[in-house]
Amino acid sequence: MTRPSKASSWLKLVLPWLLFAVLLLLPAAHPSDNILRLLFLTAVWTTTGLGWNLIGGMTGQVSFGFAVFFGLGAYTTALLMQYGHNPYFSFIGGAAIAMLASFFIGLPTFRLRGPYFVIATIGVTEAVRVVMNNLDITGGASGYRITETKAFSALEHYYTAIVAAALAILVSTLVANSKFGLALRAIKQDEDAAADLGVNPYTSKLWVHAIAAGLTGIAGGIYARRAAFFYPGDVFAFSTGISILLMPVIGGIGTVWGPVLGGVVFVIVEEQISVKFPNFHLLIYGALLIIIILLEPDGLLGLLRRLFRFLPLRQDKAKLAAAKE
Amino acid sequence: MSAVEYLDLLLKALLLAGVYAAMAVGMTVVYGVMKIVNLAHAGFLMLGAYFALEMFNRFHIDPVLGSVIALPVFFLFGMLVHWVLVRWLPKSDTPTLASLLLMFGFWLVLQNLAYARWGNEDQSILTPLTLSAVHIGDTISIPKVNLVVFAAAVFCMVVLQIVFHRSWFGRSMRALIQNPYASQIVGVDDERTARLTFGLGTAFAGFAGALLGMLYSFSPDFGRPFLLRSFVIIVLGGLESVSGVALGAIVLAILETFSTVIPLPWYWHGWQFYYLPPSYQPVVPFALLVVVLVIMPKGLAGLFNRKWKTA
Repeated sequence: MTRPSKASSWLKLVLPWLLFAVLLLLPAAHPSDNILRLLFLTAVWTTTGLGWNLIGGMTGQVSFGFAVFFGLGAYTTALLMQYGHNPYFSFIGGAAIAMLASFFIGLPTFRLRGPYFVIATIGVTEAVRVVMNNLDITGGASGYRITETKAFSALEHYYTAIVAAALAILVSTLVANSKFGLALRAIKQDEDAAADLGVNPYTSKLWVHAIAAGLTGIAGGIYARRAAFFYPGDVFAFSTGISILLMPVIGGIGTVWGPVLGGVVFVIVEEQISVKFPNFHLLIYGALLIIIILLEPDGLLGLLRRLFRFLPLRQDKAKLAAAKE
Repeated sequence: MSAVEYLDLLLKALLLAGVYAAMAVGMTVVYGVMKIVNLAHAGFLMLGAYFALEMFNRFHIDPVLGSVIALPVFFLFGMLVHWVLVRWLPKSDTPTLASLLLMFGFWLVLQNLAYARWGNEDQSILTPLTLSAVHIGDTISIPKVNLVVFAAAVFCMVVLQIVFHRSWFGRSMRALIQNPYASQIVGVDDERTARLTFGLGTAFAGFAGALLGMLYSFSPDFGRPFLLRSFVIIVLGGLESVSGVALGAIVLAILETFSTVIPLPWYWHGWQFYYLPPSYQPVVPFALLVVVLVIMPKGLAGLFNRKWKTA
């Protein structure tokens, strides 16, 4: 690996803050409600994608079951708010319940090698949706409604989502740059070798799964509060779990900024194509998935990196030529 | 419930197990030889059901015959899929992220092409066969279609077993399952065997899908619950051997069928008995999967760690 040049590392440090500042100050420019809504959705989905990426991308444990955490976050938030709790407290409650659920899934399945975890996650989403469809206190399949006495404020929802996404990016960056993140990447490459070097794959997987579930739970709560009405066939849907997995894969699996890029692409495709051709957006995602896996496993970010590598490469060649002379 | 009613349910469970076995066996051979968890299996099942429907609507071919025709058609289709997509995957001893996502993407494509072609209404294949039943005594009545489907499934399983144990292709398949490196040393063409295996797995998926299409109504999202059931059966059966799959299929079918009639004891001011509400029945296979994973990890580790006993 080559060391990044000074300019690019400086850019890496400044660009996120710049983006964050622009997004915070954006409402001053009076954007339309639709733009705020799209950015809200992007932020919410990006948060879930970043969460998934921690376990699926960095640790290499693919989960098809993140709809469980999303839905549990949504329902917990709704129930807590209905009992008169502060919405922000409710989001944290949603995250806590999602984390608890992640242990229930992880404790038995992470003991085993191979595809057990993947298979179990599919089973768990299906089972949880059936249970939620029949549960009385949440209204079963007919869904749940949040009644807030305050006036609807698109801005408040927007800021909440942006802060959640920023939190997810912060967590991802911290994990990626920590010893813990190094351990996770070691597990992805070779679990036995990682264990020999003193990493406990079992507990590491459990913790990162919990962190990922917590982020997804918060996102679910934020989504539910704005939507105000949701039902198990929506938040617990298998396709919700697919969407959460697609963003990091499209953007660039295992990187911090890949899921963000994937989230932007996802919302654009979702809003532009699924409205005009319902059922067709998944076809596009499927085709994208195949193309990305076969041709560019690092996703859009990898593609971009490849494109931008041309410039430094030429400089290197020039330097080499100069050194030869 | 009377004993005769239990017997009726048991018979139905056994008939169901035949189809379940045919459904899971394709996935097992693909996993055994290539170490790919074939998520596109659900898509092939769904296509099989629509294949039988189209054959019936257009050419008035009986769906039982249609399911047999599906075997060669899906065999070729599977080989094509392997040639175009699957063979580019990096080889590995354990399922890789790439293989999971690729097969999953392919499933999405199949599913949504089916939505585009057939819409999202539920379809069903109705023939005189599916509407008549065999009566034994007063209480036991078994739809004829279940019997025919069971016979077809068992017949194909027997044929597969013979191919598996009596042909060169079967032998090279078993060799690759046991040890891919050693079998390459002794001259097994792994690429060709993998292609044929994938074709075989797909053929059985299409066949089982057509059979399932006769028993249930279906939509393009048809395969998903059956994909999960296939997983459960493979995990239960433990090995890639056909008998293991049959065993897993029987266990799952019986538990599923009897789940709503077995009283569940519950202690609350004295012992009480509850029955699982029928709306919760779909949870059974998934609950079973998790329970098996928790209580039998050692036996299952053998499944994916290639400590094969037979084969």
